[in-house]
Amino acid sequence: MSNPLPTGTLFPPWTTTALRVALGLLGLGLVVGAIIGPMIYVRSPLFTGQSEPVEQPLQFDHRHHVTDAGVDCRYCHLTAETAASAGYPPTEVCMGCHGQIWNQSPLLAPVRASYFTGRALTWKRVNQLPGFVYFNHSIHVNKGVGCVTCHGRVDQMPEVMQSATLTMGFCVDCHRDPAPQLRPREHVTDLGWTAEDPAAVGHEIAQALDVHTRTSCTACHR
Amino acid sequence: MSAPQLWRSPEERGGEREPTGEFPPGASELDGASRRDFLALLGASLGVAGLAGCTRNPPPEVRPYTRQPRDVKPGVALHYATTMTLGGAASGLLVTSREGRPVKIEGNPEHPASLGASGIYEQAAIYHLYDPQRARTFKRRGRPGSWAAFLAEVGSPSASFRRDGGAGLCFLVEPSGSPLLASLREKVLAALPKARFFSFDPLARDAVFAGTKLSFGRPLEALLDLDKARTIVALDADFLSEGPFRLRYQRRFSDHRMPDGAINRLYAAESALTITGANADHRLRVRSSEIAELGLALLAAVAPDRGKAGASNAFAGSAWVRTAASDLRERGAAALVIVGSRQPPFVHAIAAAINAELGSAAVSYVKPALDDLAAGPASITALAREIEAGSVDTLVMTAWNPAYAAPADLGLADLLKRVPTTIYHGLFDDETAGRAAWFLPATHDLESWGDARALDGTVSLMQPLIEPLWSGVSAPEVLAAFVGIAERGPLRLLRESWAERAPRADFEAWWGASLQRGIIEGTAFPRETATLDWTALTGAITAFVPAPRAEGIELDFRPDARILDGRFADCAWLQELPDPITKLTWSNALQLSPRTAARLGLATEDRVEVKLGGRAVISVVLIVPGHADDAASMALGYGRGGEEIVARGLGANAYLLRTGGAPWFAPGATVTRIGGKKLLALTQEHWSTEGRPVAIVVNAPDVIRRHLPVLDTQKGPQPTVYPEVAQTGYRWAMAIDTSRCTGCSACILACESENNTLPVGEEQVRLGREMQWLRVDRYFEGSLDDPRVLVQPLACVHCEDAPCEVVCPVAATVHSDEGLNEMVYNRCVGTRYCSNNCPYKVRRFNFLDYAKDLSKSEELAMNPEVTVRARGVMEKCSYCVQRIEGTRIRAEIEGRPIADGEIVTACQQACPSQAITFGSLHDPASQVSILRADPRSYGLLHQLGTRPRTEHLARVRNPHPELG
Repeated sequence: MSNPLPTGTLFPPWTTTALRVALGLLGLGLVVGAIIGPMIYVRSPLFTGQSEPVEQPLQFDHRHHVTDAGVDCRYCHLTAETAASAGYPPTEVCMGCHGQIWNQSPLLAPVRASYFTGRALTWKRVNQLPGFVYFNHSIHVNKGVGCVTCHGRVDQMPEVMQSATLTMGFCVDCHRDPAPQLRPREHVTDLGWTAEDPAAVGHEIAQALDVHTRTSCTACHR
Repeated sequence: MSAPQLWRSPEERGGEREPTGEFPPGASELDGASRRDFLALLGASLGVAGLAGCTRNPPPEVRPYTRQPRDVKPGVALHYATTMTLGGAASGLLVTSREGRPVKIEGNPEHPASLGASGIYEQAAIYHLYDPQRARTFKRRGRPGSWAAFLAEVGSPSASFRRDGGAGLCFLVEPSGSPLLASLREKVLAALPKARFFSFDPLARDAVFAGTKLSFGRPLEALLDLDKARTIVALDADFLSEGPFRLRYQRRFSDHRMPDGAINRLYAAESALTITGANADHRLRVRSSEIAELGLALLAAVAPDRGKAGASNAFAGSAWVRTAASDLRERGAAALVIVGSRQPPFVHAIAAAINAELGSAAVSYVKPALDDLAAGPASITALAREIEAGSVDTLVMTAWNPAYAAPADLGLADLLKRVPTTIYHGLFDDETAGRAAWFLPATHDLESWGDARALDGTVSLMQPLIEPLWSGVSAPEVLAAFVGIAERGPLRLLRESWAERAPRADFEAWWGASLQRGIIEGTAFPRETATLDWTALTGAITAFVPAPRAEGIELDFRPDARILDGRFADCAWLQELPDPITKLTWSNALQLSPRTAARLGLATEDRVEVKLGGRAVISVVLIVPGHADDAASMALGYGRGGEEIVARGLGANAYLLRTGGAPWFAPGATVTRIGGKKLLALTQEHWSTEGRPVAIVVNAPDVIRRHLPVLDTQKGPQPTVYPEVAQTGYRWAMAIDTSRCTGCSACILACESENNTLPVGEEQVRLGREMQWLRVDRYFEGSLDDPRVLVQPLACVHCEDAPCEVVCPVAATVHSDEGLNEMVYNRCVGTRYCSNNCPYKVRRFNFLDYAKDLSKSEELAMNPEVTVRARGVMEKCSYCVQRIEGTRIRAEIEGRPIADGEIVTACQQACPSQAITFGSLHDPASQVSILRADPRSYGLLHQLGTRPRTEHLARVRNPHPELG
């Protein structure tokens, strides 16, 4: 078989056009992908770190403390109602209970060491906003935004993870229309609370607490 | 009446120079890179930046307290009252502390010197505290030493000065009124009775005390009550920007610049144009040496039988003297003559005589607050004589930098070599530190315990806001070391001194309350009855011989308007603050009047040799309209040779020409051109508004009868193409009363400190890249030789129809629903279109990454509530939106509206003359609404239809009808 088949018979003329179209589409796809890809990526949990448990240097189980022991969020996060930062518990707060119970537990040895030496416990931050965002816990808590809205069911997390995307879109959705996310002040730290009719309750709370839309850039960026 | 012709520099007036554009040539170029290089760099950095965006940083660590201190909530600011001192006089502060680091300074409203305001030195204290150039180590003969080693050495019973009761021990201290330092001094003298104390301050106010001694027989301090003064004559007295009570006097002076019939009238006679001269209704240009004759002429005109000697001198016939004298006589008890501390005692006595003759109620006398009434050349000369005689064995210097600032004829820097043991206690490794056997780094006032007296005697306490950043000791500890009690520490020394001085059963409660208030109740001195000693004075007047008219130029030495006597030379914030009058930054210069410069054939920026009494320095000419002829002025504090990097190589050292005999002005100087130019970083022509009328001045009588045609053209609706936006809720606005504003520039530094704007350096300022959000424009009006001056603070005016917003391609500058013109740094891509389209030229662009060079300690000075901006980003006044939002959150949590006056912007809070008012227009009763309804209120560049939210109130002049 020294005579190879003429090419024309294997690839009919239309294949050239098809190849060109395919290559064109591929090129277009690459260009579009190069633009859209990063946009999708930065919104995906891969980038935002959402739903990714953060391993802490010290084993601390929110499930146990919140669900089993019934400790309120504000018992440890002291300044959630009064300051920009909700606050991390000073070691003395841990020792308030663990000086009495589980005071021999080897798991708590680092806590005792911190308390007696005065060296701080080191935690890994889970929820983090960029430096140009000025978030204030106190105003949100006082206006009836529940902890669960941004932090998720911490009471069901063995290791705490970021629950929301914490992108600007996430914040602005609520800032444009806050009512559906509101709850009575007394239920702010109640992670399992749900309203029977969220729209109606939210509307009522918005009226009562004078909650309004805040979408000026400087509300968060200064 | 047409708008007055305003100009900012002689060149602009003469039309010799087109106003510089917004950015001078080269301002937008990357140094040393062509356009092609720039594009290559741009591409590369884009690629790298893109990749960098793909990674995520590991979660940062969080370290909570183990035991949270009471009152501390992370993220919530705390405020403490404390004190700083300058020349021994106290200034009360309220310091904002964030997580244990002081970040912002305000005045303590309870303190008599500040009345809640703060000036440039108070604001700059934050920078000074965190200055990375501060000395960090104890040194003994150039090698590292330690406080313990020092204590062992001076505490040793075999120390040389202990053998003979301290006969060889001398102290050179800052003048002080501190009860703690006084008690320690007593202890030292009790233990070492032959030790001697000398005090030194380059800006000592010796003449004031010598003057009162001449007039009243004993040294007294004159306190001015400007509330009671309607006619004020200032003879070489820059009382609005110099002296311990400058903030108080500014407030009281400005309080009475309202065109309500009770407006005061200020006459000023001076050689160099100062802030006081700029605010005068009638200013007289005279050489400093002529002030004495002028004073005598004034005395003769006010009280013909008392001052015959002055009735016939050169000034007797001048219209200024005649009018001022008749005005003074007419006012009687509401008249006041003030003399500056640069003038000799004789002139102070003349002023006291005029005030006594008029029965002025605006001046009263108290015991001097300082324990050291001689801190000038006399005191340090006496010390130099002792060193020459070989009677000084150990010299302890806690006064600021004597080797640099002592009179040139003493040669103190060389004399120090003759003293076997010299000990210097200072904040910086300066000229004196390098010459001392022992160097002890000092703690900053914000790191120290102590006390100090204000001019009226009120004691205020100094408490540390932070542990010393680097090793250091305070001045009381140094004195305590000589009596073996230094290890008690500064707090115990202070408490013990007060427990001794004011023993009481409830000491703890009293102490706590005093610390909290910052001042100690009931410590102000009572007013003294002072009777003028006419015999002594008449004798002095008869003996007075006017200085003969000398050949050459009369050279004036002045404290620098920014770095004072040089102790703030390291402070980049102050170096970059434009001088309120000359608008010079990062240098001093030889100031000359236009006429004198023309006579000598000199132009601005010419390098010259200034010779005086066989000594010479090289300086640069700066022509300043309004300067006296045949005179020149140089600011002290430049030409530094210590280890401080920022101050090195800037300006010329005027101390090299300053002698003990003539510390403030000296005749017979020569100025010779030596060829070449030295470029000055002048900001006076930056940010041109292209000749559009900006500042407006009106006369008081016209305001009273509402005849303000110029202002009428600046009001009313303008056609607009912008859609009308419905306004609900707060409508933030500002009113700046240019009639209250003196031009002191404290607002600029307050803004810099609050909003994290950064100094950019001399080179960058020359390119017009300074970053200050707020500027104070200074305009001249009228003749070149003797112009009148207007000042006008200007930051972003937050136009309702803002030209910047429509041209931004990325919506990085947008309008808030409350009327703020917002700047969104993260959106900004740096096109600078907004700045180009801004008619007010108040936007600032980060040409370089200025924050990159911040040291670790300087980072601590940053306000955590405000983003530190990066390169390539535009920024501008935000109306201190962080303060608005902080207040809003507080009010919303408490379920109430924001009260009028609850939000205070940084510039407003600092302003000593309360020229700035901020509030919301939605409330017609708010202060800002009321001010905007004032007939003097106008929107800048009204004809452009931008509808600025910041309105200015026209400046009021109150000329005497006869002088016009």
